[in-house]
Amino acid sequence: MWSRRAFLKAGGLAMFSAGVGGVPRFISRTALASSGGMAGGKRRVLVAIFQRGAMDGLMAVSPLEEPLLRQYRPHLMMEPAPRAGGEGLIPLDALYGMHPGLSSLLPLYREGHLAIVHGVGSPDTTRSHFDAQDYMETGTPGRKGTGSGWLNRATRMLPGEATPFRAVAMTSSLPRSLYGEEPALAIADLPSFGFTGGRRSKGGSLLLRGFQSLYEDTVDPLLRKAGGESFEAARLLSGSNRESYRPAAGANYPETRFGKSLRQIAQLIKSDVGLEVAFAEMGGWDTHVQQGASTGPFARLSGELAGGISAFWADLQDERERVLLMTMTEFGRTVRENGSGGTDHGRASCLFLLGQGVKGGAVHGGLPPLMESELEEGRDLPVRVDFRSVFGEVAARHLGLADASELFPGWKGVRMDLLRA
Amino acid sequence: MVFWALLVVIVMYQGVGWAAEPEPGEASQLGSLPWREAGLTERGAAVHLLNRLTFGIRPGDVEAVLAVGLEEWVEAQLGPSPEDGALGKRLAGHRALRMTNEEIAMTYPARGQVAFLARRDGRIGDRADGTRQGESSPGAEGNRRAARMHLLAYAREQGYRPQSELLEQLAAQKFLRAVYGEKQLVEVLTDFWFNHFNVSVTHNRARPYVLTFERDAIRPHVLGKFGEMLGATARHPAMLFYLDNAKSTAPSGARTTMDHELERYRKLPGLRNRIDRALQERSRRQSEAEKMLPRELKSRRGINENYARELMELHTMGVDGGYSQWDVVEVARAFTGWFVYPMGPVGGEARVRLEGRMKRARRVGFVREGGFLFRSDLHDAEEKMILGESFPEGGGLEEGERVLEIVARHPSTARHVARKMAVRFVSETPSPELVDRLAIRFLETDGDIAEIVRAIVHSAGFWKESTRRSKVKSPFALAVSAVRGVGAEVRDCRELLRWVRAMGEPVYAYQAPTGFPDRAEAWISAGSLVQRMKFAVSLALGRIRGVEVPSYQKPGGSLSASAGSSLRRSGAMLLPGRDLESTIGLLTPLFEETESRLETWRGRAELVGMLIGSPEFQRY
Repeated sequence: MWSRRAFLKAGGLAMFSAGVGGVPRFISRTALASSGGMAGGKRRVLVAIFQRGAMDGLMAVSPLEEPLLRQYRPHLMMEPAPRAGGEGLIPLDALYGMHPGLSSLLPLYREGHLAIVHGVGSPDTTRSHFDAQDYMETGTPGRKGTGSGWLNRATRMLPGEATPFRAVAMTSSLPRSLYGEEPALAIADLPSFGFTGGRRSKGGSLLLRGFQSLYEDTVDPLLRKAGGESFEAARLLSGSNRESYRPAAGANYPETRFGKSLRQIAQLIKSDVGLEVAFAEMGGWDTHVQQGASTGPFARLSGELAGGISAFWADLQDERERVLLMTMTEFGRTVRENGSGGTDHGRASCLFLLGQGVKGGAVHGGLPPLMESELEEGRDLPVRVDFRSVFGEVAARHLGLADASELFPGWKGVRMDLLRA
Repeated sequence: MVFWALLVVIVMYQGVGWAAEPEPGEASQLGSLPWREAGLTERGAAVHLLNRLTFGIRPGDVEAVLAVGLEEWVEAQLGPSPEDGALGKRLAGHRALRMTNEEIAMTYPARGQVAFLARRDGRIGDRADGTRQGESSPGAEGNRRAARMHLLAYAREQGYRPQSELLEQLAAQKFLRAVYGEKQLVEVLTDFWFNHFNVSVTHNRARPYVLTFERDAIRPHVLGKFGEMLGATARHPAMLFYLDNAKSTAPSGARTTMDHELERYRKLPGLRNRIDRALQERSRRQSEAEKMLPRELKSRRGINENYARELMELHTMGVDGGYSQWDVVEVARAFTGWFVYPMGPVGGEARVRLEGRMKRARRVGFVREGGFLFRSDLHDAEEKMILGESFPEGGGLEEGERVLEIVARHPSTARHVARKMAVRFVSETPSPELVDRLAIRFLETDGDIAEIVRAIVHSAGFWKESTRRSKVKSPFALAVSAVRGVGAEVRDCRELLRWVRAMGEPVYAYQAPTGFPDRAEAWISAGSLVQRMKFAVSLALGRIRGVEVPSYQKPGGSLSASAGSSLRRSGAMLLPGRDLESTIGLLTPLFEETESRLETWRGRAELVGMLIGSPEFQRY
């Protein structure tokens, strides 16, 4: 075995450039250290997307034959598009149609990689954004005191050795989902993450060498270990493709913060830095006022969401078999539109699952007929799918974390059958 | 264990009354601080004391402590706070710092509230927003822009300011006080206790009141009694919103305090019929109002356990403190009716209604204290059993107060607080003996925080070799100590605070009620360490906007001597009393590579940056 010090010395300054042959050094070291672990950096990745503000699931994926919708939502409801590309709901099957803003997801749905789960929500009936997000991110509905987030607990349970990039959120500070014992990175912007902002000046390299020798030499084990990983991580990212990253042909990310987040997640996945849990978020879904129908704010938001996701999928053409993407939102919105052409806080919404192992091309879960007696409290889509039965399925089948008792303490439910074994 | 044995004695003693306040002069009876026993020089002891009780050592601080004497310096830090004029001047421009809750609510309404008011006043809405069909027309974007302009104009006329200004002033005052405050221990303790009773600006309704929470509920008590701080946090709007007590009510059907009060009045001759008529009228009007309300505005009745649980788990007894789920529910019932007085422009109508009736409301048990409102009509006045004590039916506000008193003086609370303070000031793994001693001191002094700090610095454990430099600075502490160490001048804190966030500590914005964990592992990861080193270099090179760095004097002498002597001098300034020989040995060759490097300001600044980013500087 090499000692860490000998390793650094031998690797020497060659490591100023990005990993050799696409495999960064600490990955190969990892593979060395845990023989029998996963080979190289090709690990399975879960990409979690939080749509903050509560997406109107009924507008995203709507029943096609529901006469009551005209009554409930005179200004919001849409007829099925008379022809492809027309303005109106895009039929997915006999029952449901997709908002036209989401049209770029349609090919993924038709190919069978994208699934929709409808009627998802929390058993806790809070309609507070803060509480509902908190409960969804901790994975413990009704309990505020849970210190850690469910993605952090999932990260902790992953087998094999961690790299500094095992869990990454593309946010300026760590989201509640990643609070906890396990180290996780919050990276607002990849290019500015490294030491010199991409440019390597003479001074920059002197500083780097200085810090490196200080952290290599310190007797403090925690700082020595984190220091070593920092240099490897930063070096990796200061590689040539950090700023000049070119997505694959046909991957046109929206020019928004969300689009950038997904692009940088794709970049991390492709550079094999050991990413296993990624998190991105998109705000603006709290559409109380004038949310529009086939055009307007909701259409813009869903266009950005779908555009980002479809670009991400196009970008990952060679990595798809190990990537699963899941969206989530804290609750849905009222079935009736309000007086301002918007919708208020409700209960169930829908979510999207994308991956080659997903039982795609289908709407799982579903909605009851919308007569008042079928609605929760006479006003909201009833929650028929506990979000943990979806998250739990993803953790079990995609990440191999079948023990839900640590992931979702106190949950006694059953996983929903959404992924192929 | 010693703790439990002594506890019995103390608890018996408590039976006849609490320990008297310590006599004046008792502190000096504690004698001198036991640093010699740990093999320290007086200078080394001063350095350690400053490291732990301040936000970092400025040039000259060690000499100042030595000049007054260590014991006297500690007593001055624990003593009353004189006017800090220089700090006051720096804070003077931050006007939110002097506002009451009501003024803040009126000045900084949330964006949604402003939009609501503007719509109510007809300033935006369909007309300004474009018709619904218009949204799909080419003019839609223009309409939205127009609505935004109308909204801004409306906010200006009404004198509303954006909440971002309030939050900037909140964060800036924390930074400025930590850098420039003379009573450093108060700043350190305010940081500690705020985090202990964490509330967060990520919570929409708590957000406007986080500033006054720290100012009014935490800061005045950090050298006082734990129980008083606990009481102040329990009634503060920020806490009532953040942990949902402001929506916790008696379950429907439960008899409330107001029911009991009215029952008393009904016994008076002639009042019975009037009261009954009034009650009938009220319930008729209420059910009518309920019918009118949209469903989401209908009052939901029932307790919310959040505050009760965190009160015991986090604020007082600790997770294994010996309470049960039963106690959580009963405590939640005791706090039903603890509400926030309606404030801000949207609460205006409710407030006017309430103000007109407050006199009558008081007669049936309503109580208002500033932003706090006790609603007797929502307080569950049925019998309770809490932590083995019985609460007879008919109680009111005093039930919550009694709960606070019970938990504030509970032996589990003494241990929980003692341990947490030992972790902050001594080490992540304090000895059980030290925790016991501090817990006992807590019980002896009725939770006197200054006495616990005194007990800490007078303990041998505080000075031990293995304790010193064993803790890792939080990102905030790192930034402040770096600014203090180089003697930088802070004119604008915003970019500094962005760095603190990037290093992993979004101040006032930790979402969970646990507060930031006080553990090295929580602060140090590969990602955060990169940010620390980058921060160090950016600060030293004067690249952080709003911060002016000094000119770093040129070293004299020959070149080969100058790298070493520069490092030695800067090291002595930033890390006084540390053995930096190995650091200097490692860095000297780098600075000797290029002959003229230290001749330039930049080279000297890099040297300072390297020291701030060094492993040594991360520790305290």
